[in-house]
Amino acid sequence: MTMTTTDLTDRSEDVIMEVSNARVSFGMERGRARVLNDVSMDVRRGEILGVMGESGSGKSMFADALLDAVVDPGVLQGELTYYPGDGEPIDLLSLSEEERRRYRWEDVAMVFQGAMSSFNPVRKIRTHFVDTLNAHDYDVDRGLERAKDLLGDLYLDADRVLDSYPHELSGGMKQRILIALSLVLDPEMLVMDEPTAALDLLMQRSIIALIEEIQSKHDLTIVFITHDIPLVAGLADRLAVLYAFEFIELGPADDVLAEPAHPYTRALLRTTPNLETPLEEMRPIEGSSPDPVNIPSGCSYHPRCPMADDQCREVDPEPYRVDDDHIAHCHHWDEAIEEESPVAVGGDDRTPTRAYVGPDGEDAEDPLVSLDDVEVHFEQKSGGLLSRAEPETVAAVDGVDIDIHENDTVVLVGESGCGKTTLGKVAVGAQRPTGGSVSYRGQDVWDAKDMLGGVSIPFEEIRRALQIIHQDPGSSLNSHRRVRAILETPLRRWFPELDGNDRIQRILGMLEYVGISPPEDYIERYPHQLSGGEKQRITLIRSMLMDPELILADEAVSALDVSLRVEMMDLMIELQEQFDTSFLFISHNLSNARYLAEKTGGRIAVMYLGEIVEIGTVDRIINDPQHPYTQALKWATPDLDPDDEIETADSPIRTIDIPDPSNPPSGCRYHTRCAKAREVCRVETPELIEADEGPGHQRAACFRAYDDHAYWNSEPIVEGPSEE
Amino acid sequence: MTADSHDCEPGPDDGESADDDGVGGILRGDGGQVGTPFDTTADVRETRWDRYGRAIDGYIRMPLTIMRQDWRSIVGLSIVAVYLLMGTVLTWTVEPTRTGDGPQFVQPFETWEYPLGTNEMGQDLFAQTVHSTGPVLTMMASGALFTVVMGTFFGLVAGYKGGEVDTVLSSITDVFINIPGLPLVIVLSVLFEPTHPISVGILLAVAAWAGLARAIRSQVLAIRDESFVEAARMMDVPTPELLIKEILPHLMPYIMVNLVNAARTIIFSAVALYYLGVLPFADANWGVMLNQAYHAGAIYRPDATHWLVVPMVAIAGISIGLLLIAQSLDRVFNPRVRARHADTGDAEDGDGTEPGSTEMMKQV
Repeated sequence: MTMTTTDLTDRSEDVIMEVSNARVSFGMERGRARVLNDVSMDVRRGEILGVMGESGSGKSMFADALLDAVVDPGVLQGELTYYPGDGEPIDLLSLSEEERRRYRWEDVAMVFQGAMSSFNPVRKIRTHFVDTLNAHDYDVDRGLERAKDLLGDLYLDADRVLDSYPHELSGGMKQRILIALSLVLDPEMLVMDEPTAALDLLMQRSIIALIEEIQSKHDLTIVFITHDIPLVAGLADRLAVLYAFEFIELGPADDVLAEPAHPYTRALLRTTPNLETPLEEMRPIEGSSPDPVNIPSGCSYHPRCPMADDQCREVDPEPYRVDDDHIAHCHHWDEAIEEESPVAVGGDDRTPTRAYVGPDGEDAEDPLVSLDDVEVHFEQKSGGLLSRAEPETVAAVDGVDIDIHENDTVVLVGESGCGKTTLGKVAVGAQRPTGGSVSYRGQDVWDAKDMLGGVSIPFEEIRRALQIIHQDPGSSLNSHRRVRAILETPLRRWFPELDGNDRIQRILGMLEYVGISPPEDYIERYPHQLSGGEKQRITLIRSMLMDPELILADEAVSALDVSLRVEMMDLMIELQEQFDTSFLFISHNLSNARYLAEKTGGRIAVMYLGEIVEIGTVDRIINDPQHPYTQALKWATPDLDPDDEIETADSPIRTIDIPDPSNPPSGCRYHTRCAKAREVCRVETPELIEADEGPGHQRAACFRAYDDHAYWNSEPIVEGPSEE
Repeated sequence: MTADSHDCEPGPDDGESADDDGVGGILRGDGGQVGTPFDTTADVRETRWDRYGRAIDGYIRMPLTIMRQDWRSIVGLSIVAVYLLMGTVLTWTVEPTRTGDGPQFVQPFETWEYPLGTNEMGQDLFAQTVHSTGPVLTMMASGALFTVVMGTFFGLVAGYKGGEVDTVLSSITDVFINIPGLPLVIVLSVLFEPTHPISVGILLAVAAWAGLARAIRSQVLAIRDESFVEAARMMDVPTPELLIKEILPHLMPYIMVNLVNAARTIIFSAVALYYLGVLPFADANWGVMLNQAYHAGAIYRPDATHWLVVPMVAIAGISIGLLLIAQSLDRVFNPRVRARHADTGDAEDGDGTEPGSTEMMKQV
């Protein structure tokens, strides 16, 4: 990196923060790990700079460096200069303890990733604000006034929120409060480290919209760090891409997305599932990110880059200027840019790779697993703030019917807390429903367990046939057991005729089949010696070794890196074909749902507050959603279009927050948030009915699906936008 | 797998390569014979030695290699080994002592005939100490095992099963927690007058296991909601196997420390009770020696001091030895340490690269 930063920004932009040759390194047992490798970057006043990178690319480290908050044993070197609007430039690394304390929060504030754990659970929200104000010797009363304004801007009821304890607020509310808290001292710059990663789609989108409003209102400079490219596509002015602890591309968001000059950016865009790109154009990135101790020489991306040649292997690419404001660290940027744009526009040929096989309706063959009017009610023991004797009942799942056929794929989509995991667990017999029935090939699962009536299929057989893949690969493998022991467990239990050598041979074969090689090495490893993607493959093999009929994959890819998700989903689909398995996927992400369902010709089921509000084949759900909630989800799913401006005004939901599930709204449960709700929705509950016309299959629970219903004559609910 | 085949140690656990022709054949190459990896079976049948080899490797060789690297376990194991020798070999070689064997109050290290001196009755303290070792060790082992087995069983089952099983087991546990331990032991010892070391050990542990059961139960409550436990349930792994193979390893460091602590508690309370004269004297042991020394006024008599010191040193010694072992056992059950000592060359390079970095990233 020989060009100095002044070369890069000689357009005399108003720079608020200048980072040059910043480097963070750790001493580790295996050598020095460089988790930020000579990074230079200018942040301009008043811009939103999107920084994107996969996990382990050094993006959080960059955020910490901007606040000089790198924790021990990390050491930050280089030059970081902050230019306040008025006054002398500040050299971050030579600040005294007191000056640094003032600098943080008063000049540059940070919004952290985990809103859930950022608050002290035993203190009210007000205390958090007061503490922050006191710590910086601000006038508390005036500060609280400002806090109330900010909370109001974020569509929160300031007085109620300030007097609440953290546990009384939802995740989205907490994240918004965190933003308000970071702005209460009126900083000039805001660093947001994955501020929406833990939130639901609708909430994410709403917060992104709010960030844009806040930014213009308060004249902020925002550095928005994320792994989710579509999320920042419409938000950021400029985009910077981090790979292997250095920036590889930087430029105006439109240019970077439309004409990425670095092969990694291109590959990353191509591997990101979204609602637009045709499936044939999505492909995974081979290989994995480098180890911080062992960064490849030359261009750090060369081991994974299809265009790499000797020059890439030896010479670390300097920043090449693509055009005025767009730079890329690639020797072959001009060749890379000539390929067709990775973001496909249009793409109407959405023919599913496989046709929809599961027939709908009664004439179907016997379903594999059939849920009939399933209800799961959890009793919440009293004991909270309002400890009344009567236990509150939360209906996690409320009257759901769904059939899963052989070789079928169903993707459950919904916000967190809508009961999709509970429903999935009921479907695979991991959770006993409090009402209704679950049957496997016509045999009631829980009757078989309790030996009630004539049991045609023993429970053991059902148990083997229904399997699960958990969300967090870290906790689904026992950390005290080797891969061999983990994978031998299902074989020992179900194939007693195999001896030890057979088992090992089969495990080796499976490991090789899913692309873990050399398997002889991996079989002796403990889970902590595996990467996230490898762990998830092991869990996948573990359930496959049971020879199951239906696998519940509970957010099986959401814990993985963006570049690994498509690869993992492809693997699952391939295994499904190989082993004739049905899949029940759970996802909060419509893009992933679309990818899975479209590739397998499956269905998407949208859940809201314990009910399925819409179900159907993928093209119908994605292209022609009938239920307003599905439409809202589709609205909230970001795509890669940089021109896609987000406005809160055209939001299809009236309130951001989900109603309390222990006290669901009457009538149609969605009416409190539905922009199209009318008075009749308050009282009457819509049934799932067949939506007419069009190929495929689609059913929606909304009065709007009826041609002739009291709905059309009913008064719209115009109780005034309560929060929006 | 590579662990066995690359194992260059001679001996029975190398049997696999001796029995079968060609290690390579077992390891790789025959996966391609069948259509899908799911139908794969091995060409070679597993022999008994294969299984033994793996068991020896996992349960004996590996822990020993890890412990060898830690001075605490080396010292601890040596101390305990000395006591074990005293309790076995020396018991055969050293004659039991009788009243009037030697003169009164020979000081320690004066003559080789009585290396640790003699007491008021002219008994050889060294012989007395040696002959006490066996019964004391038996008592400690039985008491400690009783505590740990009862505590682990009640804790594991109550925590994992929950519901009514939990209510019943926890109530029993609570009863034992709330009974005052010492009076109970005194009453029971008066009632049963136990003389055999095993029964003394169990008697002393009768109220000690309940606290451990409670602690283990609460740990199991946290573990049983982990995904891997649910995955095992979904695989229909029988409950006992699930408890032992999936959950117990996570508790082992805690249980081992408790095992050793229980052993120390047993010896301390035994000595205390012998000293108080609550337990009937069957034959000499360190507690009885202390009791006699006290009653002979050893506290005020400089020439009798060694009578008190010798059993005290014996007690302190075994206690320290056990503590050191307990500390070092923590490493044996740590998968990160175990992985580092896997004897596969390949695993060595791979070890740590990925997880080390990710872990580091998480900390940041």
